[in-house]
Amino acid sequence: MLVLSRQRDETIMIGDDIEITVVDIRGEKVRLGIAAPRSVQVHRKEVFQSIQNENTAATGVQINDLNVADKNLLASKHRKLSYGT
Amino acid sequence: MLVNTSRFGEVQVDETRFITFPQGILGFPNQKQYAMLQTGQDSYFYWLQAVDRPDLAFVITDPSLFVSSYKVPLKAEQMSSLGISTLDQAQVFVIVNKRDNSLTGNLQGPLVINVRDRVGEQLVLSDRRFTTRVPLIEIESPVLHAQAV
Repeated sequence: MLVLSRQRDETIMIGDDIEITVVDIRGEKVRLGIAAPRSVQVHRKEVFQSIQNENTAATGVQINDLNVADKNLLASKHRKLSYGT
Repeated sequence: MLVNTSRFGEVQVDETRFITFPQGILGFPNQKQYAMLQTGQDSYFYWLQAVDRPDLAFVITDPSLFVSSYKVPLKAEQMSSLGISTLDQAQVFVIVNKRDNSLTGNLQGPLVINVRDRVGEQLVLSDRRFTTRVPLIEIESPVLHAQAV
């Protein structure tokens, strides 16, 4: 990892198109401004990681799980319809 | 064209119906083309099958069927990169996972699809009200009840 020190209002360039600026420093918290092309996704790492992990886990869903779910959903839909009469 | 899938064997899919994710789905950046498969007529769920990888498929569903309060905010740049000018040109799906005895939906990372151009993107929402594992439906097997004699 490349480690650089920056003060408030100073900027780092990544490649030609990405800029990161230290917008504010308050105690332990740093506010960063990111300028990047629309094609580049920018997220807090833990959120990104959490979604990535969840996507990977989701590839394990089995066809039978859906059959049971659909059965339960249709059953509850029919129950709701009959209570309405 | 014939799409090779590990779950359903070879499936005939009209390639004009393929959905393209220019940035892939998070964690799977190399697969950009998917086919949406339906397994049953009355199913609440679809399979999003990667065209180039037989073993890669996600179960997706319309979150509004389960969570009526769910809304996905779209910024102008996001609408522009999806090629839509009005919200009704997009359809939202969420990826389904199984946790314990429930199916859950990833409402923090919805898939937003431009239905006309068949282009989609997985968004990352910053609203913490919706998590990656929102319970949708229990799947406790009905057979278990019959055994308690």
